[in-house]
Amino acid sequence: MAEARLAAQGLVRTFDGGVGIRGVDIDVQPGEIHALVGLNGAGKSTLMRVLLGMLRPSDGSVAIEGHDLRAAPNRIWAGVGHLVEYPLAYAELTVRGNLALGARLHGVRAEDIPPTVASVMEELNLEQYADRRAGRLSLGNRQRLGLASAIQHDPRLIVLDEPTNALDPSGVILLREALQRRAERGAGILVSSHHLDEVARIADRVTVLNSGIIIGSLDPNGIDIERAFFDLVHTHDKESA
Amino acid sequence: MKAALITETMKFVRARVSIATTIMLTVGIGLLCSSMLLAASGDDPNLAAKLGALVDPGGWAGYLSTASQITAIAGLLGFGVVLSWLYLREFSEGTVTGLFALPVGRGTTALAKLIVYLLWAAVVSAVLVAALVALGFVFGLPSVPDAAALATQLIVSLLTACLALPAAWAATLGRGALAGIATIVGVVVVAQVAAIGGIGAWFPFSSPGLWATGAPV
Repeated sequence: MAEARLAAQGLVRTFDGGVGIRGVDIDVQPGEIHALVGLNGAGKSTLMRVLLGMLRPSDGSVAIEGHDLRAAPNRIWAGVGHLVEYPLAYAELTVRGNLALGARLHGVRAEDIPPTVASVMEELNLEQYADRRAGRLSLGNRQRLGLASAIQHDPRLIVLDEPTNALDPSGVILLREALQRRAERGAGILVSSHHLDEVARIADRVTVLNSGIIIGSLDPNGIDIERAFFDLVHTHDKESA
Repeated sequence: MKAALITETMKFVRARVSIATTIMLTVGIGLLCSSMLLAASGDDPNLAAKLGALVDPGGWAGYLSTASQITAIAGLLGFGVVLSWLYLREFSEGTVTGLFALPVGRGTTALAKLIVYLLWAAVVSAVLVAALVALGFVFGLPSVPDAAALATQLIVSLLTACLALPAAWAATLGRGALAGIATIVGVVVVAQVAAIGGIGAWFPFSSPGLWATGAPV
């Protein structure tokens, strides 16, 4: 079996008030789209922040392609793309300028930056906004810019928190196709979402997080994924009450 | 480091904050000093008493001495605002999450910000000297300025830029828009109180202004 793109064991990180994650194990395999679903406050964003080193876990470990998160070399980070919370978009720079900045920060060589940027703008239909400042973009196009910046360098591991937020239906379809293309090329993709229908269309594996704990998984090809999700959540809530 | 430097330079040169502050620190201080020069050339003895060095010794020496003292105060505020913005913008705009999980570490990004700031401060300091010289000629100062006085102005500006560095530290720790700016305003107030109270020589933030007046530091 190929090495997991991402593997985490026993992750714990809690905040005042009790929210957070408690003993989460999760992995993302090459070529797989792994969806993380849960209600608001379930711990999805906290988990993603811990997985990317934005928050230090009080217990547990994270490995990216077999390298401990705290000691991962630059070449490993160059193969990661992510969008958590706000897109990396600076208001004073154009769409093209922001994408060039993102490519540079992800280690793309200087001579490869223009074709990389042109390619992702075409892929996510951003060409018409290429010379517009990010500060003048709509929320949806700003999100599209952030997603383009996260996936343009063809990362081996992609982590996206609620990526379809603010996207219009055409943006959702473009993103879905872009992620599927990258998964087919071997990328491991972890994506969180509220939209169970969307998850069912794209994911190979669906993990349910509730109150900071992984409580089970859903069959993305199941007949009524929404009912299955709520059954899992309500059962867990009753058991832990 | 090269990627971080290019990135930070691109952001800095296109941002309104850096452009506006550059204009305020060069044109603003230059016009303030030269307009005082104009006021000092009048016959009002009360105004002359208030304008101090611009009247006695007057000329280029008085003009540049006044400019250095204004730079030591206004510069601290201006440099401090830019530093605060430079280091807190990712926190206040929410883009800080995008600076994680990259081959370019946050420490490298922070260092690149510092290098870009220091280079900008050097350019602003040099342009301010040139603006002061040009405005001095425009407002009719005779002869040519003393090289030592010009060097003093340049050094005061550069020292002031360095003394604003706690603003970056406060902005990073405070994670808020006002933390760095509040720190630098506090520093300016304390520096003034220390200078007036006679202990300015022992307070680093008062030193450039005192040195510009020829006081022992």
